[in-house]
Amino acid sequence: MAERTVLLVDDDDVFVEAVQAVLECQYRVLRAANGTEGLEMIAEERPDVVILDVMMDYLSEGFEVARKLRNDPVTADLPIIMLTGVDQVYNVRMEVDESWVPCERYLEKPVAPGDLLRHVAEVLEDQ
Amino acid sequence: MKPETPTADYLFAAELFGRLVWFVRLRWMAVAGLVAASLIGPSLGLPGVWPALLVVGSVVAAFNIFFTNHLGWRSRREQPYEHLRSCAVRQILSDLAALVVTAHYTGGLQSPALLFFAFHMAIGTIILPTRIMYVVAACTSGAMFTVYMLELNGVLAFHPLDPNRGMCGAACHFNMGAFIFALVGVVALTDSVTSRFKKRNLKLWETTQELRQSTGELQRSLEQVETVEQRKSHYMRISAHQLRSPLATVRTSLQVLTEGFVEPGTDRGRRLLDGALERVDDLLVTVNGLLDLAKMREGRASAPWTRKVNVNQLLTDIFDALEPLAQAREIRLVPEFEGVVILDWGVPPDLIFAFENLIENAIKYSREGGEVVARLRVQGDRATVEVRDQGIGIPEKFLDDVLHEFVRAPNGKRHAPQGTGLGLAIAREAVEAHGGALELWSREGEGTTATVSLPLHLKPMKASS
Repeated sequence: MAERTVLLVDDDDVFVEAVQAVLECQYRVLRAANGTEGLEMIAEERPDVVILDVMMDYLSEGFEVARKLRNDPVTADLPIIMLTGVDQVYNVRMEVDESWVPCERYLEKPVAPGDLLRHVAEVLEDQ
Repeated sequence: MKPETPTADYLFAAELFGRLVWFVRLRWMAVAGLVAASLIGPSLGLPGVWPALLVVGSVVAAFNIFFTNHLGWRSRREQPYEHLRSCAVRQILSDLAALVVTAHYTGGLQSPALLFFAFHMAIGTIILPTRIMYVVAACTSGAMFTVYMLELNGVLAFHPLDPNRGMCGAACHFNMGAFIFALVGVVALTDSVTSRFKKRNLKLWETTQELRQSTGELQRSLEQVETVEQRKSHYMRISAHQLRSPLATVRTSLQVLTEGFVEPGTDRGRRLLDGALERVDDLLVTVNGLLDLAKMREGRASAPWTRKVNVNQLLTDIFDALEPLAQAREIRLVPEFEGVVILDWGVPPDLIFAFENLIENAIKYSREGGEVVARLRVQGDRATVEVRDQGIGIPEKFLDDVLHEFVRAPNGKRHAPQGTGLGLAIAREAVEAHGGALELWSREGEGTTATVSLPLHLKPMKASS
């Protein structure tokens, strides 16, 4: 099987560096520092799974990227893992419209390396 | 109709209505008495006047039915006081007219019906204004006097209770005088007793109204407290999240190292360790900012408010302190002071924090070689300080948000990655604690103007937090 590609979209470069180190054991890893960069990279590189932070340049950027991906027929089936420091209840309180968060997994930081690898593997398997 | 804010009239109307209902019921007893007297009279051997009493009884019954309907039983809450009062006056006048007729047919000034006049005067004085009752007493006396004179002069027939006796002669003049004196006396006496109760009643009612008002105010304060509590809780959550993010990064970085995904000795290992350290430093800066904010909020309750503040001096000191930073970035600091501005009171450290923050931001987000202008002037009864830069600006959709804790515009983050997002929030807190306002104007790529307006003569505020 060809090496799968994971795209990490997160504005915290240290966190990305750490997660990249974990994922690189099994996958090809690409990184983007914000939503716009992430969308461009998805269009160019066609990753197999995307790991999205929520709060980047603005509060709900991750959610918006996820919605854009789902609404585009080309990327509608791309698995999305939200990996964020903000819990779900909080987003509702912040009046971030979370009525539709189209993601396969919703993980909260910090996540143990083993758990992250398992979630990515499961999501790819479900494909 | 019950008024939005009940007036004293409303209170009296309710009282009056109850009395009028009571009147109508008592009047049926009077009707029964008159009918009974007209039936029993002939058997007592007193012919002649009894059919007249039956007629009076019927008339009283008829106007009692009219008054019952007129009073509007089913809509007591919709009776205005004026209407009820005129009802009461009409009822009393009708009663007294019936009594005059009854007295005429039952012995004139010797009639036992005279006692009921006093009864009406007392009740009337309790429920109606005293001056009305004096007029009623005068009318009644006049009516009774007229009847007496007509009887005396033979114009009206005299109907003695005892057919064997004629008119009482001179003694009846005394009766007439005593009658008038009794009517006026009952009104005066009743008034002296009830006016005190009426006043107390009114006072009690006013107190109740005040109490109701204070209850409303308390309710509103409680709601405000709840809002503040909610805001606090929101602030706690957002602060916790701001701390959690870098902590998560530190933890993940260290875990990646301890679990052997990355060797500490490698380049990547060192990058992770440096990164973790960097995040710990960020955490410290954020925690310090939070402590500053807390200090500022607590400071409002304890700081001495009476100190005058020379804004020119304050800004000059800040310029001196920030000069090295400006020079390093080749930015020119330009003070534009229009006169000397002195605030009646203020907390200098808080104001320094606010202005220092605004000017430091202006320097931080300026491009090299730019200019930062601080313009100080008086507009009306307010001092205005404009801090204007030619820097990167704030995108329009972030203009309001950047004044809140932890919000930074994306271009600002890119331009100066270091920053907690607390500075403007603390500055705003400080300005508002001085009764002032902080407003931002900005155009992305052109620059930002932060305008602080502070009242010159605000009295020291009560400690509040």
